[in-house]
Amino acid sequence: MTPIDNKAVLSAQNLAKQVVFNGEPLNILHAASLSVGPGESVAIVGASGSGKSTLLSLLAGLDQPSSGEVALFGQSLAGLNEDGRALLRRDKVGFVFQNFQLMPQLTALENVMLPLELAGRKDARDSASQMLSHVGLGQRLRHYPRHLSGGEQQRVALARAFAIHPGILFADEPTGNLDAATGRQIIDLLFQLNSEQHTSLVLVTHDNELASRCDAIYRLVDGRLNGARA
Amino acid sequence: MSWWSRLLLAARFVRREIVSGELTILALALLVAVTALTSVSFFSDRVERALTTQATQLLAADLVLNGNQPAPPAIRQEAQRRGLQLADNISFPSMVFAQGQATLATYKAVSNSYPLRGEITLRGADGQSSKGVLHPAAGTVWADARLLRKLGLKLGERISVGNTSLLLSGEILREPDGAMDLYNFVPRLMFNSADLPATGLIQEGSRARWRLMLAGDDQQISAFRQWLGQHLPAGSRLENVEEARPEIRTALERARRFLGLTAMLTVALAAAAVALAVRRYLARHWQPVAVLRCMGLTSSEVLGLFVCLFLLLGLLSGVLGALAGYAVQLGLMQLSSRFVGEVLPDPGWHSWLLGPASSLLLLAGLALPPLLAIRNVSPLAVLRNDVVLLRSNLLAPLAAVLALLALAAWQMDDAVLAAWLLAGMTAFFAGVAALAWGMLWLLRRLPAGPRIGWRYGVANLARRPWLAIVQIVALAVGIMALLTLTVVRDDLIAAWQHSIPADAPNKFVINIQQNQRAALLDRFAVAGLQQPELSPMIRGRLIAINDKPLRPSALQDERARRLAEREFNLSWRDDLPQGNQLVAGSWWQGKAKPQFSVEQGLAGTLGIRLGDTLAFDIGGSTYRARVTSLRAVAWDSFRVNFFVLAPPSLLQQQPASWISSFRLDGTQEEFANRLVAAFPNITIIDVTAILDEVRAMVDKLTRAIEAMFVLALAAGVLVLWAALAATRDERLSDIALMRALGASRSQLRAVVLAELAWLGAFTGLLAALGAMGIGGLAAGKLFNLPFSINIWLLPIGMACGVAVVTLAGWPLVGRVTRASPLAILRAG
Repeated sequence: MTPIDNKAVLSAQNLAKQVVFNGEPLNILHAASLSVGPGESVAIVGASGSGKSTLLSLLAGLDQPSSGEVALFGQSLAGLNEDGRALLRRDKVGFVFQNFQLMPQLTALENVMLPLELAGRKDARDSASQMLSHVGLGQRLRHYPRHLSGGEQQRVALARAFAIHPGILFADEPTGNLDAATGRQIIDLLFQLNSEQHTSLVLVTHDNELASRCDAIYRLVDGRLNGARA
Repeated sequence: MSWWSRLLLAARFVRREIVSGELTILALALLVAVTALTSVSFFSDRVERALTTQATQLLAADLVLNGNQPAPPAIRQEAQRRGLQLADNISFPSMVFAQGQATLATYKAVSNSYPLRGEITLRGADGQSSKGVLHPAAGTVWADARLLRKLGLKLGERISVGNTSLLLSGEILREPDGAMDLYNFVPRLMFNSADLPATGLIQEGSRARWRLMLAGDDQQISAFRQWLGQHLPAGSRLENVEEARPEIRTALERARRFLGLTAMLTVALAAAAVALAVRRYLARHWQPVAVLRCMGLTSSEVLGLFVCLFLLLGLLSGVLGALAGYAVQLGLMQLSSRFVGEVLPDPGWHSWLLGPASSLLLLAGLALPPLLAIRNVSPLAVLRNDVVLLRSNLLAPLAAVLALLALAAWQMDDAVLAAWLLAGMTAFFAGVAALAWGMLWLLRRLPAGPRIGWRYGVANLARRPWLAIVQIVALAVGIMALLTLTVVRDDLIAAWQHSIPADAPNKFVINIQQNQRAALLDRFAVAGLQQPELSPMIRGRLIAINDKPLRPSALQDERARRLAEREFNLSWRDDLPQGNQLVAGSWWQGKAKPQFSVEQGLAGTLGIRLGDTLAFDIGGSTYRARVTSLRAVAWDSFRVNFFVLAPPSLLQQQPASWISSFRLDGTQEEFANRLVAAFPNITIIDVTAILDEVRAMVDKLTRAIEAMFVLALAAGVLVLWAALAATRDERLSDIALMRALGASRSQLRAVVLAELAWLGAFTGLLAALGAMGIGGLAAGKLFNLPFSINIWLLPIGMACGVAVVTLAGWPLVGRVTRASPLAILRAG
């Protein structure tokens, strides 16, 4: 068993997840280990149902493993309760989701302001509007998600994720709901922001082309993670 | 597509929708609606029937034919042929002699089947009191306490009754029709009618009243009442508790309206719950409908599917709701049986029918209009992941109002009244929506508060204006109902009970002669009692209106005919009597010239208008004058009241006897006896018994309404839950996202609580305003009671709003704050 890597932004050791389904235990993840260094990008690829989202939720501290350990920024998540993990996410973790997950009742600006306000930042409005300008939506601050195209919505989501200057960004199929051209633009933007902010990136995708742009690729097959550094 | 295959498709669709649980909330909302509606209906139906029964107990029968001679055999035969129960009650005044003393008493000879309704409470020779359907056996006689005291009689002694003597075997503590004889203050003596011939008391020209008492089921009675109307013997009339006793009639009418109001509010609550559930259901089905359209179903086929679904759902919920309503009502009965009576009559069939009918009607009014919009769903919608808001058009509120109006008219049995209430409620809805919109608009423009919970809670509310307004309106209706049923109800009941004041007179004294007035008033002063006001009473017959002779036989209305036949008690005075209110014209001042003031109910019955000239025959002379005012008279004030008043100038010269009313409490009872001893010609009428009857009835009505209020309260809380459930999905996804973005539990709690608190405060404020309006409307239009606005409603309403929304809402939305951020990854 490899010890926790204190230099790594994210380090996971022997992560397993077991759920009980119809009275039978079901292993959806077996002893997965990986580590992500500062500024490093990692892709996790696998077919639908291979356990990608489960792994992502464990790595990001959204869920707790049945066994094994995750450390974010050198801090073991096992020692933190839900609020402690939330605090860690608030200050250092960004998310991008396949279905954007913008709050429909908030404007683009307000959506980006949300994580800043949760962190109690006084300059939430200014930072958020700068971030939106940076992703090319400076003219659409007051638009609601329903008035934005899919690509624009994902840009807002990227602005929201990078607004807090996260140490690590988790992206779950960020191009899954977009056409190829828009998808490419979003990915370009994602990697651009990633390198600008020197953010580590964990990307879950089934798109091999997208995965190939990452520093490392892990493959999930039936809940087993096979690591391969590019 | 053939009809058959459409039907099969619909059946499969319905089954899948029910199994999938998508309809659970809507079905529950309907079920709750119908349960509330039918339980109130069952309950009020049975309570009303019980109250009617209790009212008939005052007659000791359902129907009484009152004549100055025995009812013709043909009438008895017809009643028997129709399967009605019969009893006889012959009453007449006569002297009773015992222990060498004599006193005047009212004799009452009853047949073995007396009483047909109600019970007699009796104390036997053994000192034990018994209660039941009792009558004196042949050869025995019962007397009331007054007679026993007056003549110093003891049970077991014999009394001379006419030519015979009877054994005094019981003391009457209470007889069902005792209070009926308002002018029968004199002591009571009751014996078996089998002994009547032996007494020889009934002779030609005796002043006896022959009452043929009848009882049967509602249909039999109303059919026989009609038949009797055409075969009424001369000198006879039908006694009807509602017509005979204005104060009982008023109490019953108010009760009916109060129960109707309670039911109506429950309907409004139920409708709000259904509307919210339908909205949620349809919003969640926009995409599936688009998929169905993609698969090739025409828009009318899709509509047909959903109409089938809702029909089935409506029928199911209606039947189950009616059963649940019956069960709830049984619980209510347990709760209130000791107030309303142990055994209540079964509810009528229309209460059962109300279940499915109301369920379908609610769906038709509240689900159909938004459902029609489903025809416009484009197959293209599958490609768009938009949040679809149901747009409202004019049809939706119109259909909702019509459905509510129909239900209200059914509940209240009065379309005009229902329309009045609905008009008030619709205005309220519109007003609340507008006010809510204004408040949200303001909120959205307020600078952000320093605290995250406050800021996002407020913003959550303000950023969902349409939904927030729906919630505020629905919740405001609920809380308005609560306020109306508690604070306003208390105000109304206080006003109602105030109309029968605790110090209401309990004795009427009549037949005071002109020259006895000063001496009589002196007696009051000597006894340290307040001197009562004496009013002159002059008997006169109304002979013409506007010089057109009044022919009683030509009048259609039975009550009008009876009024026209009998002599009126007229009076004269300078000032408007206490408890009277001018409703038209003006009261005379100073030395006014001859004119009349007429009670408005009488004026309405006889068609008398302001400015008409009335002619009265008083002692053979005709008195003519114009009607210069109409008065509203509080008949349940138990004060001396007159249908027709005139200024002294018109009637002062007429010989009059004088009448008064005053109050004596327990220890002062003896004063009445001393008064009679001093002025043997006067008659004192004791209305304590009548007052007790009325007050007991008012108390029972209050209990019944309180019992129903418990149900309306439950319905209100359920509406709140339906409203919160409707926004639960959105809230859940908001919270999960915020959690994923790192919000702490306390931040999430603050967000949710702040939103609930704002919602509650808005809702409570608007509910208080609405309750004020409804209270004013109800007091004025329904109950004819004075009602002053209770300013405390505002703070109470807001506190209630915050408390109700937070306490009831937290268990439902509080759980949301424990939502796992994981949900955000799984959300499609």
